[in-house]
Amino acid sequence: MAEMAITRKNNSARDLGLMLVVWSATAIIIAAFTWIIGDFIIHGFERLSWSFLTTSPSNAGRSGGIAPILVSTLLILLIAITVALPIGVATAAFLSEFTRVGGRVRQITTLSLDILAGVPSIVFGLFGNAFFCIWLGLGFSILSGGLTLACMVLPILIRTTQAGLSSVPDEWRRGASALGLSRGAALTHILLPAATPAIAAGLMLGIGRAAAETAALIFTSGYVDRMPSSLDDSGRALAVHIYDLTMNVAGGDANAYASALVLISLLILINSVAVTLTNRYGSQRITAS
Amino acid sequence: MITMNVLRALGILMAGMSFANLATSAADDTKQPTLAGKLTITGSSTVAPLVAEIGKRFEQLHPGVRIDVQTGGSSRGIADARSGLADIGMASRDLKSDETDIKGHVIARDGIGMIVNAANPVQSLTDAHIIDIYLGKVTNWKDVGGSDMAISVVNKAEGRSTLELFAQHYKLKNSDIKASVIIGDNQQGIKTVSGNPGAIGYVSIGTAEFEAGQGTPIKLLPLGTVAATVENVQNASFPLSRSLTLVTKDEAKDLPKAFIDFARSKDVHDLVKEQFFVPLAE
Repeated sequence: MAEMAITRKNNSARDLGLMLVVWSATAIIIAAFTWIIGDFIIHGFERLSWSFLTTSPSNAGRSGGIAPILVSTLLILLIAITVALPIGVATAAFLSEFTRVGGRVRQITTLSLDILAGVPSIVFGLFGNAFFCIWLGLGFSILSGGLTLACMVLPILIRTTQAGLSSVPDEWRRGASALGLSRGAALTHILLPAATPAIAAGLMLGIGRAAAETAALIFTSGYVDRMPSSLDDSGRALAVHIYDLTMNVAGGDANAYASALVLISLLILINSVAVTLTNRYGSQRITAS
Repeated sequence: MITMNVLRALGILMAGMSFANLATSAADDTKQPTLAGKLTITGSSTVAPLVAEIGKRFEQLHPGVRIDVQTGGSSRGIADARSGLADIGMASRDLKSDETDIKGHVIARDGIGMIVNAANPVQSLTDAHIIDIYLGKVTNWKDVGGSDMAISVVNKAEGRSTLELFAQHYKLKNSDIKASVIIGDNQQGIKTVSGNPGAIGYVSIGTAEFEAGQGTPIKLLPLGTVAATVENVQNASFPLSRSLTLVTKDEAKDLPKAFIDFARSKDVHDLVKEQFFVPLAE
């Protein structure tokens, strides 16, 4: 009895220790996040206003707003997602459903994707500059920037979607084929809806990486801060603007903070919209099929 | 006839504007040939914000013109001007004597000053001190007349023309410099030095003077007996200064020439000063 009491006491002490570690790790994460956001709000909030979002920058970005930059950023992201999402989901479906586990095709593709996902963004920037801007003749343009980001986001998107598809239990596939569903029908009606949360997560990671991108964009979508009139125009992204204001423009700090605040709000907004859509769309598809 | 066509084109362009505006613009444009087209300018990230501002003003004066400014460093600006990828290149240095295949057009000047943290008691350093510090021969401020504190050497990243100018002036090879921190731009240099009492670095005087005036804890050291001030850069008595240069492949004509002439004119001196550079002497 006494021995058991001692072990239990040891166990609870260990549990307590573990709990402390877990809690303090969480506290550190929350504190770091609050610190960063707080820093942005303290330094940037007073510059933030409706007119900051709707006017063009002046005096190299020290004064004025970020309207053209916001528009360019959204256009670049839109192109990146429009291109990356279908290609990414299709590739993931191919890898997960149409190649053998442990097969050579899957192994080689997966390995290359993992390497690509870890490639520094400046490499994508130089590739995008050489391929889209010069070789395809798109020049410094929102299109070049969006396509470069699509290349950058694809590996992340494919790998998360693939993981989502793999986590769908095999019983579902067998059930589908027992019911006489074709592989395509099983994919669109059962597997992809079931993997929607994973796709959304991948998309979020991708958009997060894309929206925060400077190095890949400065040589592709460029530096021009005029309101873009077409996708062929060069357009400065928010991250490039923040970088330029902090690094090249003396006295640009206040607007850099305000721009960073806008960028973070934009990410939170996109994130929550995506989560809402995923929940609604995902549950509808599953119950309908 | 040509004038009539120009007027008609202008009329279409400005359909949305008031008649009074149209009349004055047309009157302006009949004096000189109408400028239209797109200029691509690439190069130094130091010069880019200034040229972008000059470009905006130029676009306002000539509504048919579009000026796209891209960055990537002086070497790239010169390479792009040479290859024809850009109409005009930007470099934050004078052209070298062997770069005779391209033409340089100075639009403003910039001085580089040595900065230390404001808390550092050192008032001046000799050239020999600076060289020893950057070669890692002196690692403590007490050896150069300061307090007992380790020196943190801030150097620029390879490829920056500031580094080129600094290394050239002190006859240093970048591979020999023992840097504690490698930075990219002026602002990063100022942030590093203002946050580290033992740091020494070199940045644009215009930028440093502004930041020091804003209360950032940095101090500009004189070079020899010459104080590091904007005035001394303008009158070229400050040795460590550089030119901001526009580069063209051949003798500029038409639109590039019009833009370069404008960028060198008095009309942009306010813009040059706003970017903390030094305008050309009048």
